[in-house]
Amino acid sequence: MPSPARSDAGGDGAGILIGEVHTGLLLNSASLRQDMLPAVLGLLPGERVRSFERPISHAVSPELLVGVDCDLSTASGTRVRGIGTLAVRAAITGGRVLQGSAWTRLMGGHAEHRLPWSHYLARPGVVETVGRRRNHPYHADLADGFLDRTNNRKAPGIDFGAICGQIMGEVQRSPYLDRRSPFKAARTTLRWVAEESPERRIGFILGDDGSRTTRITFDGQPISAVIELCEDLALHDWLLSTLLDVIDRGMPSDGPHETMMRRIRPAVDHLIHLWMPGARVVESLLPLWESLDTKPGFTRQWDTLVNRIRDQLALRTLTLLSASAEGVPGRNEQGIRS
Amino acid sequence: MLVIATSDKGGTGRSVTSCNVAYRRALQGSDVCYLDFDFGSPTSGAIFSIDPVSRGTEGGGLHSYLQGKIAEPQRIDVWRQTDRETLRSRPPGAGRLVLLPGDQGGGEFSMTKDILQRCTKLFVRLLEEFDLCVVDLSAGRSYAAELVLAATAQQELRGVPHRWLVFHRWTRQHVIAASGLVYGRRGLIEAGAERGHDSQVLADSIRFVRTAVVNPDSEELAGLRPTQVVWLLDCNKDLQELARQHQLGRTMVLATIPLDPVLQMREQLISDRDVWASQIANAATVAAFDQLARRIADDAAWDEL
Ligand SMILES: Nc1ncnc2c1ncn2[C@@H]1O[C@H](COP(=O)(O)OP(=O)(O)OP(=O)(O)O)[C@@H](O)[C@H]1O
Ligand SMILES: [Mg+2]
Repeated sequence: MPSPARSDAGGDGAGILIGEVHTGLLLNSASLRQDMLPAVLGLLPGERVRSFERPISHAVSPELLVGVDCDLSTASGTRVRGIGTLAVRAAITGGRVLQGSAWTRLMGGHAEHRLPWSHYLARPGVVETVGRRRNHPYHADLADGFLDRTNNRKAPGIDFGAICGQIMGEVQRSPYLDRRSPFKAARTTLRWVAEESPERRIGFILGDDGSRTTRITFDGQPISAVIELCEDLALHDWLLSTLLDVIDRGMPSDGPHETMMRRIRPAVDHLIHLWMPGARVVESLLPLWESLDTKPGFTRQWDTLVNRIRDQLALRTLTLLSASAEGVPGRNEQGIRS
Repeated sequence: MLVIATSDKGGTGRSVTSCNVAYRRALQGSDVCYLDFDFGSPTSGAIFSIDPVSRGTEGGGLHSYLQGKIAEPQRIDVWRQTDRETLRSRPPGAGRLVLLPGDQGGGEFSMTKDILQRCTKLFVRLLEEFDLCVVDLSAGRSYAAELVLAATAQQELRGVPHRWLVFHRWTRQHVIAASGLVYGRRGLIEAGAERGHDSQVLADSIRFVRTAVVNPDSEELAGLRPTQVVWLLDCNKDLQELARQHQLGRTMVLATIPLDPVLQMREQLISDRDVWASQIANAATVAAFDQLARRIADDAAWDEL
């Protein structure tokens, strides 16, 4: 991954944006201090790590470019070759959550054959199709092909997974991390497509197989704003599913108190304060987040979970208190305060 | 944590025991993955009853990954994919159980810098998502064993606990062979030191597991003649002494797995149902797997030397 990318190049409104965001837990015992972020995310010498302390600690690596030349996935199965570059970056939120995010703009190229690389390098973050140029329904074919993971007759397309996996791996193997995370969490993958349209809209689908896809239409915002929206969505979806998993596992109603505490404690300590939907989304795209918050109801689900945890903890504390009041020695009380 | 399963001889019960332990640990609530590093004969798919990969996968397994042919090795969710209906669907409170199969017709390979780097990357990747990664090696001194020894000595994996389980049957030959694998020339400790491990730390992270052990006191042997029982008890005592002399005495043993009639007939996971409903397997076997699954992660069991 040699050269820096600039994601707002182009911006002529043509083509569609496609990308993936992978989200997982940073491999470190403590949440990473703000001053360590540049070292951990400094994947390109000389390029700056952007970091923000408010409203929540967040840092983004420089964007790297990756060259691709492969058949794109199409819903119809039509062969379409794409050549160009993807942009990819890593981000850390709250010193805890690591994301690998890659995207490109798919555009109809004019060439019948592959052009010299200088042509593609002059268009960072753009993949051009080779062959006759067609328009709108053609975009739909590419968008549907990209989002549909069940159709295995189609070309596998651009391997965003490998590219995100690689950049996350580089961060996770950083000499500045101790690789002793307080708990384990599954990674999630959000695949997204965005197109310009006079009407702003968003849709989010969580498949039975755990796949996440989202479609966005936007009007005139810079690409970077769309990417940030997708990353914010992926982050909160991951927080929600990780907390759900912790609770599923940690709250058998009759389990011993210590076991429950061991399982739930990390979530309480490390995840709950990270919930801040829309914190980094530009004003004009906020209504999209809000519409997700009414329909799948992300925040409602989150609040329900958090309340369940609080109730459980309170209940356990009461049980322990009454047990000790009756002179029965309480079980392990450690971990209730906080 | 990484747990590496090895043995000197073949057919010791290494794979069957490690699969069952992975399964038990997942039932106990941990997220577990099982890596089939027995590249010559990847049989773990059969033990988990996942038919399409019963002799390794054709869809890009660990062997292809290490050789750089694919970006990530195939993962199989055991709860979803096992053919055994009683095991399908994750029980409440249980963790994830994921198999990373070997490749069909994989074969051994020698270690290169690239392969070492990919192996290290994979371990880091899995440690992000799993509490326990069980790595099943092949029998004897293999390239895979060298590879894992080298990977666990890399800077990226310092500080991540890795523990070695050496499986052997409870016979004279097996006791001597297991001791040789650990303490002998080109054994684990020597090879590990050469790869940059501290010999003492490495030695402290090795324990033995005795498999398919006949308990002379068990009720199944009630039908034996008294002379036979006396003979068995004598043999057992001799073996204990031999084991002590070869540095695999009691304190070095993490578990003793009893001989089980089901496992004698078939390589498989033993579910609680096999014990309580159909009563084909012994409760003592499951109890031993369950205890081993707990002790693997229990620091106290590893400190007591
Ligand atoms: N506790 C046990 N009781 C009875 N039989 C057992 C027990 N454990 C394992 N076996 C049987 O021993 C045989 C060898 O087991 P397994 O394949 O696990 O050994 P292995 O050490 O992995 O062998 P290999 O070196 O070929 O990989 C199998 O038939 C298995 O079912
Ligand atoms: Mg085996």
